Amino acid sequence: MFLRILDRLEEILIATLMAAATLIIFVAVMHRYLLGISFLYPILFPIDLSWAQELCIYMFVWVAKFGAAYGVRTGIHVGVDVLVNKLKAPWRNIVVMFSLLSGAFFTAVIGSMGAKFVYGLAWTDQVTPDMEIPSWIVYLCIPLGSYLMCFRFLQVAYSYWRTGELPHHDHAFVEGVDVVEPGIGAAEVTR
Amino acid sequence: MSSLIIFTLLIVLMLTGMPISIALGLTVLTFIYTMTHVPTESVALKLFTGIDNFEIMAIPFFILAGNFLTHGGVARRMINFATSMVGHWYGGLGLAGVMACALFAAVSGSSPATVIAIGSIMMPAMVAQGFPKRFGAGVITTSGALGILIPPSIVMVIYCVATGGSIALDPAGQRVSSASVGQMFIAGVIPGLMLAFLLGMTTFYRAWKNDYPRLPRASWMERWIAFRKCVWGLLLILIVLGGIYAGMFTPTEAAAVSAVYAFVIAVFVYRDMSLKDVPKVLLGSANMSAMILYIITNAVLFSFLMANENIPQQIANWITSIGVDWIVFLLVVNVLLLIAGNVMEASSIVLIMAPILFPVAVKLGIHPVHLGILMVVNMEVGMCHPPVGLNLYVASGIAKMGITELTVAVWPWLLTMLIFLGMVTYIPEISLWLPRALGML
Repeated sequence: MFLRILDRLEEILIATLMAAATLIIFVAVMHRYLLGISFLYPILFPIDLSWAQELCIYMFVWVAKFGAAYGVRTGIHVGVDVLVNKLKAPWRNIVVMFSLLSGAFFTAVIGSMGAKFVYGLAWTDQVTPDMEIPSWIVYLCIPLGSYLMCFRFLQVAYSYWRTGELPHHDHAFVEGVDVVEPGIGAAEVTR
Repeated sequence: MSSLIIFTLLIVLMLTGMPISIALGLTVLTFIYTMTHVPTESVALKLFTGIDNFEIMAIPFFILAGNFLTHGGVARRMINFATSMVGHWYGGLGLAGVMACALFAAVSGSSPATVIAIGSIMMPAMVAQGFPKRFGAGVITTSGALGILIPPSIVMVIYCVATGGSIALDPAGQRVSSASVGQMFIAGVIPGLMLAFLLGMTTFYRAWKNDYPRLPRASWMERWIAFRKCVWGLLLILIVLGGIYAGMFTPTEAAAVSAVYAFVIAVFVYRDMSLKDVPKVLLGSANMSAMILYIITNAVLFSFLMANENIPQQIANWITSIGVDWIVFLLVVNVLLLIAGNVMEASSIVLIMAPILFPVAVKLGIHPVHLGILMVVNMEVGMCHPPVGLNLYVASGIAKMGITELTVAVWPWLLTMLIFLGMVTYIPEISLWLPRALGML
């Protein structure tokens, strides 16, 4: 139950940030060009969008950290698996387990380093250049995202230990593009 | 000595099959904790500031735009247009497939996406028309690689990001800055069209020799109708390239605008997608973007370590001291990249190799844009051959063919690509002429 809520939250967070960042930059660009139209100028000029780039960057950094955790669950992080796949059963399991636990270890270390860093920053009154929000809030994505990613690695390692299966991202599968039945009759292309 | 330790550690970690981003990060951590006195706080900071850069954000935007476009509609109309233009020549649908891939590549920045978008419609159509399955699969797998050569291209953005912070000196000792995304995009146009033409020639020749079916010639009226139907997709080319060249947008802004534009045409103009599919597209794009951004974060860390240990400079000095000229050097680079293409996917290779190769290449007098295009073409070749060619896997999923069979099917076009690689390597003007003529260099 708790896990399901976490999964949803993760998905909603990254999808929303993605959409919001795109819209913000789009609006900022439109704003810049519409300023050139004289009758819109008085309405648009008071709106200051200079913070848009900064916000967009922070949003994507958050997408990167939490999306990377989501990616562990969907198996999108690819590695060099040519050699591993050639190994026989007991060895392969050991190596796969080693790589999953290394992932958990690395993200745990990074998360702790980030937590220490954010903790130190929280006592200062450092703010971001354009939006002037406290820096430690922005940097919070490093410990939170990394610990979440660590948790995902452990989750995948546990399910691998139980079932021997790894999540696998299928690049050939795109939602909405049906590969078996072509989206269009062959006759339509050939007329 | 330290470079030997770093690379051995990295290669050993990578061979265990762990994600490349994790292997890079662990290498850096191990090295920093045991061998140097870089404060670890700076590592935590780098994890954030490494991707704290507006130029990098073009990558998620282009991925999002590409995902909106892949969902049917645009690709299908481009295929119809291409078929009406070249379908009556030898190679018929095959030739149309090459052209459709080139058109789609001009709105999408990724190769596998191009293979999916065009291949899922084109391959079944070709089989239905009496082409052997291998022929169709071969054409689409290799033409799909145009996705990263014809702008916009995610790999080109990654190249610019990877070399952005490097300190490189030309033979005269002047500091040379890296290529900009705009320069790379414009530079990709001519090589992209050339490769499309060469792949088309190969298709034409094979079809002519085996006498594959052709289509009846379309009238100019039919061509006009097909063009009008796909004009919304083609306009995107104008927005991205025209906008960047005219200085209306930065590449990142162009990417954001094209993502919104792609959303509007997919949902409201062509109506291939309903609004309730949008969250799935967003999630999928965020997933893919996060994967690439995460590799970038760790690769930035890795190149920070290398710069800290002065490794690129050492390699550059060593190469010049043994008297290697640019001709031999580029040959070695090609071989190195082709080997790397056997085990890793494109963005990781560029992120790891570009910061190392860039200072050396510049020292030998190679233009940053030339090196970039050369790397991109290498990545294209790597995508089309086993064991990790992403295009091959995608195409084998669509065509329901085994990888081995597909590898055989692909070779005539792969050979063409290798010849083209040779041309791009030793004729720098292929990549440099257009940006220079437009005054961008």
